[in-house]
Parts: sequence; structure tokens; C-alpha cells
Amino acid sequence: MPAASPIYNFLVRRNYVFLGVIFAGAFGFEMAFDKGSDRIWDSLNKDRQWKDIRAKYVQDADGDDE
Amino acid sequence: MASKSLLRSIPRAANTMRALSTTATKAVGATYESPFSSGNGKPAGNIPDFSAYRSKAGSNSNLLFQYFMVGTMGAVTAASAKTTVQDFLVNMSASADVLAMAKVEVDLAAIPEGKNVLIKWRGKPVFIRHRTADEIKEANAVKVESLRDPQKDEDRVKKPEWLVMVGVCTHLGCVPIGEAGDFGGWFCPCHGSHYDISGRIRKGPAPLNLEIPAYDFTEETLLSIG
Repeated sequence: MPAASPIYNFLVRRNYVFLGVIFAGAFGFEMAFDKGSDRIWDSLNKDRQWKDIRAKYVQDADGDDE
Repeated sequence: MASKSLLRSIPRAANTMRALSTTATKAVGATYESPFSSGNGKPAGNIPDFSAYRSKAGSNSNLLFQYFMVGTMGAVTAASAKTTVQDFLVNMSASADVLAMAKVEVDLAAIPEGKNVLIKWRGKPVFIRHRTADEIKEANAVKVESLRDPQKDEDRVKKPEWLVMVGVCTHLGCVPIGEAGDFGGWFCPCHGSHYDISGRIRKGPAPLNLEIPAYDFTEETLLSIG
């Protein structure tokens, strides 16, 4: 077999490193997935959620919700 | 006996066998002649050439791609497993409406001296009394040792003029009536328990003083219960 690529040697060769890469990837994937799905939901329900219409009903802008 | 002689003859035949196997290492792309026959002397057919299906990219990029797919699958599985467990745990915690009910704020400026106010907190009545100076004096004058549930008045209030108690009789859970009874405090109509102006049991079947909820004066005239 020819010499393995540096990415393979660095990230995959040792199992604990590979596991760490997987968990880090899971963390990043989850953040991206949550952000993305929230954005899709918000765009589908634009002007229908409380945070969109709050300004119409709550005049005082003290930002301290009860 | 015949089988024995046959076994002995094998080493001699091994030369031709080895010759067959060594010819198998041919250049990629060549067709292979099958070493087996179909039994009647005819060849069994040619082994097809798979070189068209072999990866052109080389083993390294294939290796990296395979591990990338394994890792991606692991990452997605780990994320979804974590989310599943988290959703179950979040499901068990208090919901937003329960948390909203858990705390009650009362504006004390609206309560004049010598008046009772009854509010609802977590489904239970809460008595708030704005006590007069005389009532505070009266509550402190009681001999604590003589009480059924000995408790000093100063241990039952944070500010002497404001008495905050859960309005549930410690006997069987009725709601006592304010400004009634033999001791100027509360009187439970169910079985006749008398509480004094500090909410301490003085007469009747109840074993304990009226319960004090957790409360705080968030501002000078704002009481937050819970």
C-alpha cells in the first residue's frame, strides 16, 4: 500500500483521535442542524410567532419580561 | 491400500499445482483461464475481467472516504442519541406555565395597615397581613415557652409589619378565617383551631403554626412569593 495521506494519519490512524473527531463533529453538526432547522421554522412561520408580533402589543421596551 | 498409494503420489503432483498457482499473478486487465474443468474435459469458462470496476483513485483516497463515511455516521448517531436523551429529560422538567405559576408578586403599597389580603400561590391561599404596631407588640409579648409549637415572632417574619403565611390549617387543611378567633388572629371553622396574630397555634386541634412560604421583598413595596 502506498503511503497514507496526512489527513488519514493525523485524524483516523489512532482510534482515540478518531473518536474525538467524531464527537467534535457531532457537536458541530448538532449546532448547525439546530440553527438551520430553527431558521427554516422561523421563515415558515414569519409574522406568526410571539417574538414577531410582540412589538404590536407590548409598548414598554424595558426588555424585562415577567 | 489404494487410497494410501494415492496420498503418496500427491507430493509429486504438487509441482504442477504450484505452476498453476504461480501463473495466476498476471498483469491487471488480463483474462484468466479457469484452472477447473466442468468434468468432461471442457473448460468451465473464463473468469471475467473486473478491471473496469476497480477504483481508479487508488487505495488511499478510498480508505479516507470509507473512514469519513464511518465517522459521519457515528457523529450523526451520537448527535441524535444525545438529542433523544435530552428530549426525554427536558420532558420531565417543569413546563413554562408551571414555572410561571411558581412565583407570585404582590404590590404591598395597595394593602393598608391592619388589613388582610388573600392571594393564590401554587393553588394554595396565602395570607398577607399588614400588621399594626400594637399587633407586633402583642405578637412579641407572648411567652414562647407556653406555646404548642414554640416559635418567636421574629423567626416568622422578615419585616415585622408584614406577615406572610400559607393559609392552610395545619390540622386538616381548611382555610382559616382572618381577624377571628380568641387570639385576634385566624380561626379555622372546621374544627376550631385558633391562631394568634403571628399565625401560631394557640387553641384547638392543629399541631403546628401556619406555614411560612419562601418569600422576599424584591423592592421596598414589592413582595415576591416563591
